[in-house]
Amino acid sequence: MASVELTGLFKQYGATPVVRGVSLRVEPGSLLALLGPSGCGKTTTLRLIAGLETPDAGTIAIGERLVSDGAQHVAPEKRGLGMVFQSYAVWPHKSVEQNVAYPLQLQKRSREEISQRVSEALGWVRLTGLGGRLPQQLSGGQLQRVALARALVAKPGVLLLDEPLSNLDLALREELRGEIAALRARLGITMILVTHDQSEALALADTVAVMNGGRIEQLAAPEVFYRAPATPFVAGFVGGANLLEGRAEGGFFHWRESRFTLPAEVSTANAEGVLAVRPEDFLVTLGQGGGEPELTLSARLFAGQQVEYRFMVGEAVLRCMGPPLAVSPGAKVRVSIARALFFAR
Amino acid sequence: MSSKLVAAGLFSVLAVFALVPLGVLLLRSTGEGWLSVWREDGALWALRGTLLTASGAALFALVIGLPVAILLGRTDLAWARAARTLLTLPSAIPPYIWAMGWVALANPRAGLLNLVLGPGTLDIYGAAGIAFVLGGAGLPLVVLPTLAALSRIDASLEEAARLSGASVWKTLLAVPVPLALPSALSGAALVFLSSASSFGVPYILGVTANPPTPTLTTRLYGEVLMGAGGLHRAAVLSLGLLVIAVSVLVLNAWLSGRSAVRLSSGKGLSHRPLPLGRARWVTSLLVMALLAVVIILPLSAVFLTSVQPTWGELRGLTFSHWQGVLSSPRTLAAAGRSAMLSLAAAALVTGLGLAIATTRRKWLETVGDGIFALPGTVFALALIVTFSRDLRFIAFERVALVLALGNTLTLLLIAYVAKHLAYGIRNSSDGLSQLDPSLAEAARLSGASGPRAFLDAVVPQLRGPLGAAFLLTFLTCMTELTVSVLLVPTGAEVLGTLVFELQSYADPASASVIACAFIVMILIVITTTSVVARARGARR
Repeated sequence: MASVELTGLFKQYGATPVVRGVSLRVEPGSLLALLGPSGCGKTTTLRLIAGLETPDAGTIAIGERLVSDGAQHVAPEKRGLGMVFQSYAVWPHKSVEQNVAYPLQLQKRSREEISQRVSEALGWVRLTGLGGRLPQQLSGGQLQRVALARALVAKPGVLLLDEPLSNLDLALREELRGEIAALRARLGITMILVTHDQSEALALADTVAVMNGGRIEQLAAPEVFYRAPATPFVAGFVGGANLLEGRAEGGFFHWRESRFTLPAEVSTANAEGVLAVRPEDFLVTLGQGGGEPELTLSARLFAGQQVEYRFMVGEAVLRCMGPPLAVSPGAKVRVSIARALFFAR
Repeated sequence: MSSKLVAAGLFSVLAVFALVPLGVLLLRSTGEGWLSVWREDGALWALRGTLLTASGAALFALVIGLPVAILLGRTDLAWARAARTLLTLPSAIPPYIWAMGWVALANPRAGLLNLVLGPGTLDIYGAAGIAFVLGGAGLPLVVLPTLAALSRIDASLEEAARLSGASVWKTLLAVPVPLALPSALSGAALVFLSSASSFGVPYILGVTANPPTPTLTTRLYGEVLMGAGGLHRAAVLSLGLLVIAVSVLVLNAWLSGRSAVRLSSGKGLSHRPLPLGRARWVTSLLVMALLAVVIILPLSAVFLTSVQPTWGELRGLTFSHWQGVLSSPRTLAAAGRSAMLSLAAAALVTGLGLAIATTRRKWLETVGDGIFALPGTVFALALIVTFSRDLRFIAFERVALVLALGNTLTLLLIAYVAKHLAYGIRNSSDGLSQLDPSLAEAARLSGASGPRAFLDAVVPQLRGPLGAAFLLTFLTCMTELTVSVLLVPTGAEVLGTLVFELQSYADPASASVIACAFIVMILIVITTTSVVARARGARR
């Protein structure tokens, strides 16, 4: 197990910058998730660490070793890493065993050692007995397990996972998520996971880096993101918060035609800014009273214990969660804000 | 960095052995006195012969190929699978074998058909016969791209025409014909080019015709045989072929640009063949009869010729020629030479093609395609003109390099490789573009160096396309004539030139034996590869 440290990483393709100054440190044995929408630079960052791309500027250190310093780059095969790809990348011309044995063969291990370690690795991912199969005979979930075993068999210092679960269906994804967590507990290996799925990131990671536009928006422990998102983007992407752009003035928030009372804990001077309100932090009521705005309900979506209420306000859509009310689309409903975060411009 | 070096290295190899020779030839062809060469007796006559036979062949292939493709692709024609399989044969078997078959069938004195119909009824010699044979050999060039275009037409387009009141035949004329016409025309243009480049067919059917029908390729051959002065005249005349080739390629690029526009991309297309109704059986019989005449008849004639005791004699058929030819030292020596050359050429084409494809340099691929499209006669002539004298290079003022390639098998090998390099490039680059790049990346992360990852993770995935390129090159070179006939060193004939010599000067029966061996070899390779491909497909 090794640490990974990035400082000031830059990468651009042609004139398009993809990674713009990423710095972070992954402690030995911990799991960092790079989370963000597609095109945010998370996969490129991972490929820079792997050595599959070379940075234009910045440094990468794995353990105590500098593997990339903007001028000199250690080849990917000499970085002591394992990697799991989104497309599995299991070689179709090799059997399961041959796939998993490949890294050890390159290390010129003895035949006994290889066969013993391959069966051990297949045991980690619960594929014992399938070593003789060809990849064409395996399901997607099994293929990804082969890829995991192959990435782990040489006991790499760091395991890189590039959207490892996104090609799998929901049930398999949940199952493999649990297995990755179990493997980590068992092997204690440092992991870097790229994903666009926030529940995956929050469930697995010790630290999450939310990326947007080639930069890290926030680097923190999972539980921090709900409590204290650093930017409106993080609040929107991780918490699914509504982002209302307007003006705070005298304890009220003016958004489009409406005027909401600001919750007591939002103490702010008069300012333009963004109010981030999570769907469950709205109060949707039928009664009158108070000066809170009445909005026309445009859709009511049943979601188990709760109901999602949607309001079209100009071109914006407000999403609110609340207990079931006897209303149908077209009715006027009173909407107030119970909790919110204000980001001044 | 290193990929730039590799690309530069590959380019210099192509430059030395293909581009520079072509440049030398071009300079020679427009050098001093070029106009007087064209004014000489028969030069323009040969040009006329080339244009006439090539246009005739293109027209024949279009007139037969388009309707057959439409019937195969859009209607419920019977025996469609058999017909499709038959239609791949003409381009797999070298054209001069078809000419040999037709000589046996329709030689005015002793052709098998004339034995039945009365002497002198049919005469395959002359411009019309050349056009007929070349057009038949070019059928796949029209039919296959037309079928591909037809498969991208949604059935609803035809159904809309029928609901507007059109009969099945009118529907065929209104929808698939105009939609597939650009592909068929571009195929016909390629038939024109391959016919204009062809040597064996016009030689076998033109030189002894009455009156003789020379073409540029046969005249060039005659000139080269005459030595130094002839070589100069040949170089000048080759410009005619070069201009024809370039104009056809330009026309073809324009045509294919037009045909790309209207057809769907292939997803969600429905195929519902149009019912021919009562005309189904008549039409099917007609198509099969046509294919029997164009394909099966000449092949059978080649076989019959090989077992006739004397030419034109159908009684007392015997395999004695087979024994004699297949055990003669001359055949064995030629076969050995051909096999060595073809194996080496196939290996080099596959390797160099893969190397060029991995550089991902489009212009390098284009150079390979260009050499392939050039008439073999022109390319062979360029090599002769450039390498007939030993070339000396002085490096570092001390080391003298002598490149003595004239009149060697090495030069023939170089010609084979350069001419067919496009097979290797195209197959590798298609295969590479379908490959998931993470397969190689996974090998890198497993600890393999770049080249090792390429060998372990990429090359095995390309076995199919690389094997196809190898086999195609091997088969083509085993039977190659046009380039070989000009470059074969004295006293070291290869199979193609041996068949050609036997056929034109002495012994059609022995030539037919080797031709039959070619056909058997080609059929074996085609069926095994399709069986293997099907088995592999079934396993997936």
